[in-house]
Amino acid sequence: MTGGPGGQLVEDYLAEVGARLPAPARERAGILAELRSGLLDAVDAYRDARLSGPDAADEAHAAAAAADDAAAADAAAAIEEFGDPGLIAAAFGPGLALGQARRVALTLLVTGPLVGLLWATAATASHMGSRQAPPWQWVGALPGSLMVFPLAAAIAIAVWTALFTVAATGRATRWLPDRPRLAPGTAAVAGFGAAGADVALFVLLASELAVAPGRLAAVPAAAAALASAIRLFLAGRAACRCLTTRAALAGH
Amino acid sequence: MRPEALKGHLDGMLLAALEPGPRHGYAIMEALRAGSSGQFDLPTGTIYPALRRLERAGLVAGTWSEVGGRRRRVYELTPAGRHMLDTERGSWRQFSAAVTAMLEPAPLPVTS
Repeated sequence: MTGGPGGQLVEDYLAEVGARLPAPARERAGILAELRSGLLDAVDAYRDARLSGPDAADEAHAAAAAADDAAAADAAAAIEEFGDPGLIAAAFGPGLALGQARRVALTLLVTGPLVGLLWATAATASHMGSRQAPPWQWVGALPGSLMVFPLAAAIAIAVWTALFTVAATGRATRWLPDRPRLAPGTAAVAGFGAAGADVALFVLLASELAVAPGRLAAVPAAAAALASAIRLFLAGRAACRCLTTRAALAGH
Repeated sequence: MRPEALKGHLDGMLLAALEPGPRHGYAIMEALRAGSSGQFDLPTGTIYPALRRLERAGLVAGTWSEVGGRRRRVYELTPAGRHMLDTERGSWRQFSAAVTAMLEPAPLPVTS
């Protein structure tokens, strides 16, 4: 069954489920394709049961007279069997939350070294940090050097929570207790950690600009600052979305 | 039987439904119904998220294929899934034996 009133009922039902699925378009399409396949199997099962029942001859006669009504009735029965669209969408919620947390964590782990590389290039080109002394002894580097410690802390938090999130959203879920709110929470911490690292890097850059503006290599520093600005925005937004997802799972 | 009563056991039952061989979602649901003589009558749509959870955990593997002229996602047990099913069975036997021992009326003492 692909068309007619029955098919329209199925598509309306799937549209209602899809509208409540907080998933990327590709993942949502995959879920809906699978649900559609299952729903059409259910419709077929109701049709077969109707046509092979004790009153099949009468039913077949009636169905021939009102084929659309019969198909719609089969579709309606299958939809009722599948469950309320809100219930189905909510049942996908924990799994989608794990997927979202995993994507955020993996993105941070992949982009983090790239942003770090740009800053390292900018620092090397600007001869920043090349002196053989700890940051707090760098001449003219205060107060920016004080940000080195928050920067290291933010990077450590971001990396470890992202690694934990990736580990907790993959194969390890078979051994872990069912706590769907955990991964969005740790992914949010990783996102805020990355954003915090970017803020610390901007403070370092600003202090360097204030103390010794001529020493900065303009192009590498601008590229690093641009990369950090983009990541600051995206990581902050992703972290906020993870917190929203976590809040939506309050009943789980 | 109410769906809440299955909480915590659904994963094991889905794995058991896949033990005979690969099945698509609706066939798994039918196997659950048939295997329980209609006692397990969940909303069919709720088993799809559960199957995805098992897939994420590496206990089942899902692939799209054409079955009966319709594109379906077919699931099968992985070696880890078979191992988990054995573990679940063992745990359930222990648990059900203990519950049965508690709930069944004790035999009356023999008096002479």
